[in-house]
Amino acid sequence: MNTQSNVLSVHNISKAFGAIKAVQNVSFEVHKGEILGLIGPNGSGKSTLFNCILGQSSPDTGEVYVNGKSVAGRPSHQLNKLGVGRTFQQLSVFPKMTVIDNIIMAGQEHHGTMFSRLFGASDAGLTDEAEQLTEFFKLDHLRDEEAGSLSYGQQKLLDAAMAFMAGPGLVLLDEPAGGVNLTMLEYLKDRLLTYNREHDATFVVIEHNMEFVMSLCTRIIVLAGGEIIAEGTPDEIRANDLVIQAYLGG
Amino acid sequence: MKPLHIFLFAVGIAILIALPLGQKTYIVYVLCSWLIFSIAAMGLNLTVGYAGQVSLAQAAFMGIGAYITALMTMAGVHWVFAATASVSTCFVIGLLLGYPALRVQHHFLAFVTLAFNTLVFLVLRNEEWLTGGSFGLVGIPRPEFGPLSTMKQLPFYYFALICFLVSAGAMAWIIRSPWGRAFKALRENPIRANSLGLNTSRMTLLAFAIGSAFGGLAGAVMAPLVQFIEPGSFALVHSLKILLMVVVGGAGYFYGPMLGAAIVVLLPEVLRFTEGYYLIIYALLVIVLMVFSPSGLFGLGKKLADRLRPQRVERGDLKQGSQL
Ligand SMILES: Nc1ncnc2c1ncn2[C@@H]1O[C@H](COP(=O)(O)OP(=O)(O)OP(=O)(O)O)[C@@H](O)[C@H]1O
Ligand SMILES: [Mg+2]
Repeated sequence: MNTQSNVLSVHNISKAFGAIKAVQNVSFEVHKGEILGLIGPNGSGKSTLFNCILGQSSPDTGEVYVNGKSVAGRPSHQLNKLGVGRTFQQLSVFPKMTVIDNIIMAGQEHHGTMFSRLFGASDAGLTDEAEQLTEFFKLDHLRDEEAGSLSYGQQKLLDAAMAFMAGPGLVLLDEPAGGVNLTMLEYLKDRLLTYNREHDATFVVIEHNMEFVMSLCTRIIVLAGGEIIAEGTPDEIRANDLVIQAYLGG
Repeated sequence: MKPLHIFLFAVGIAILIALPLGQKTYIVYVLCSWLIFSIAAMGLNLTVGYAGQVSLAQAAFMGIGAYITALMTMAGVHWVFAATASVSTCFVIGLLLGYPALRVQHHFLAFVTLAFNTLVFLVLRNEEWLTGGSFGLVGIPRPEFGPLSTMKQLPFYYFALICFLVSAGAMAWIIRSPWGRAFKALRENPIRANSLGLNTSRMTLLAFAIGSAFGGLAGAVMAPLVQFIEPGSFALVHSLKILLMVVVGGAGYFYGPMLGAAIVVLLPEVLRFTEGYYLIIYALLVIVLMVFSPSGLFGLGKKLADRLRPQRVERGDLKQGSQL
């Protein structure tokens, strides 16, 4: 596969924090419509890899291509404008803003120009769309609550909803299932699959919940000590000795 | 707007119109200075309260605005043009002052802006050929609009009131537009905002530029009110005073700075009977307020209102530390 036909391709990304080699020479490709799982023990460099891809922190070496376009060194907002959404491992909402405002915020920068936003409607014409999304993520009863007053799981869902507001083609989700209860988890999986199907969207999902990741993803990459140690279908990964060792050996 | 809002709004304007009627010249002067400081504090509230930046330089922008207006109107330029020049200059300088904010935050940013205020003070004091040095500028004319003169104190009050209402209208517009939401997002979680497509650097610069432009307008109204300006009126202590107005009123609340300015400007008059104890009482009141309600008087009001309604407070247990 060449870089052109891949939604995301990552070449030789390395990132060190002092003596800690958080990510070492990681390369992988993600095809359009694919749901790629990224797993690995705590501290194996998963979130750091996301941050390097998304312009949150600059990698020491390596290249990142989105739809064939080199995006290395671009700030996050430019990546977002290219149709890349993300969620964060830590709660990452705007706590003193209402749920609906959080979601409108997630879409407004994609509507009009900066000046049309100053002179246009207060909601940038996004209230209806935002309300649909709150329903999609079962947050509609919390519409006018301050985001900071929601429970952990609800804030996780809101975070996910925000990543989808601008209709991204590629979404990087960092532990979306953390703190979400079982019924809601099934629902979340269903929502992700629906969005994936309807928009031919591509996901990269970091997750510790094996059940969730194995049933959601079509392919899985395993990171340990900052390096890729295995890659394959969920069944292949389940049977892989290196992976079992990495998890058991810590 | 809901009918209740429109009604309250109309009552508010009526009060502002009636306020100076039958008052002594000095009281009208104090009211004018309340309006002027409200404009400056409103601007600072955008920078500090809504966008979450730190600035200790609002008085410097008032100074820049006041000197530009003074020099231009004394040279025969009409106030409207002088004020436009003041506002635009402060916008640009504010934008430049915003650049350090892209690198440093919190108390470091406080020091950068503090240094800027001192720099402006020194320029105003030392560049005698332009600013008149520590003697300042005397004989600043009051604006005339056709047959309407603002020479008397009452017409000047209405002139200041119009400037205040225009500023408040512009600020309300900004706050309710998507820009207002973006400023709040910048304050609450810049990393998240950036990941949602917001150019956080640009928004930070704008927060400084717009806030400073309001400072410039306040200065442009201040100059013809006092008709005599000197560098001391724009020293660091006055920036602290404007910040106090924002904080006492309630940072991030639209009406906060107006209430804060009223308290900081009018309270000394009210407490005049206590003579030497004025500052002590004042300081104690501020300390008590800050201990009980760091979000100012409006924050206190909101807290009380929330007591009556179901709980809607931010959950401390879930507050994020680093977002990475
Ligand atoms: N900003 C930082 N400064 C210093 N070290 C960091 C920083 N960010 C991450 N690290 C280190 O890099 C390594 C990888 O961290 P990372 O957060 O990427 O792990 P992770 O795979 O996401 O783990 P988890 O599953 O626990 O979220 C860890 O050893 C961590 O301490
Ligand atoms: Mg992580």
